[in-house]
Amino acid sequence: MADGQGSSRSPASPNGGGSHESGGDQSPRSNVREQDRFLPIANISRIMKKALPANGKIAKDAKETVQECVSEFISFITSEASDKCQREKRKTINGDDLLWAMATLGFEDYIEPLKVYLARYREMEGDTKGTSKAADGSTKRDGMQPGPNSQLAHQGSYSQGMNYGNSQGQHMMVPMQGTE
Amino acid sequence: MRQTGAYSGILSRKTGPHSLPLARIKKIMKKSSDDVKMISGEAPIVFSKACELFIEELTKRAWIIMTNNNMHEKRRSTLQKDDVASAIIATDVFDFLVNLVSSTHDNNCELNDEESHQDIMEDIQNS
Repeated sequence: MADGQGSSRSPASPNGGGSHESGGDQSPRSNVREQDRFLPIANISRIMKKALPANGKIAKDAKETVQECVSEFISFITSEASDKCQREKRKTINGDDLLWAMATLGFEDYIEPLKVYLARYREMEGDTKGTSKAADGSTKRDGMQPGPNSQLAHQGSYSQGMNYGNSQGQHMMVPMQGTE
Repeated sequence: MRQTGAYSGILSRKTGPHSLPLARIKKIMKKSSDDVKMISGEAPIVFSKACELFIEELTKRAWIIMTNNNMHEKRRSTLQKDDVASAIIATDVFDFLVNLVSSTHDNNCELNDEESHQDIMEDIQNS
């Protein structure tokens, strides 16, 4: 977890690298609070442009409004997911909690593309991590604990009570073997 | 979860497939409630895509509202804050954003005539 980074923002830091380390967004205003609260406007702008026809232009105030809205969106979904975790006495908010929260709050249209995205991400992670393992996977598996079974059990709990967890579960097997 | 330590070097590679910085997403998640203590590594990744979908939807809806309001007026092809606000007011799932835009934006939906009038005035001023 890259958390410790966030708290080390003392203005007294002598080497002026403070603003540099906090991301590739070249915002001239080194306003730390702003950086904590919002996603970089350049990224937002890029995504907005993608959604418009080629001749479409976007005013700065429109970008800034969307920027605020995105942070609000993240908080809105996270709070709902966090409530669910509390009810179920879990400490960690996971991807499925967020999917559930989005479905609950009216964003069920996002679930399908998100599932595809997650599956692709997991495959990619599995590929980069497990290229060598894939080659000699059969020999390695002999020496290891009976992986597939324990992983199946893990999936079961992961997607419990949630039908949109199923297709993800299958893809999970690939990276899981690589990481453990 | 796997990336630890300084994210400046990892950022480009780690953000590569994602269009939004994961560390920033995580910060915003943590700020949303005191109850948010731990976040799985996958959660910011889900959000990086979800935010993309959200931005696209909001932008497209705003654009549609703008073009509908300006059918007769070809000069305006720039999306404004008011268009975003109108899209939020007109869309049920964006209800949670209404407070955010309503302070500066009042009853824009009902006042289409006046809005286009304002736009003309803005265009005149800008030119």
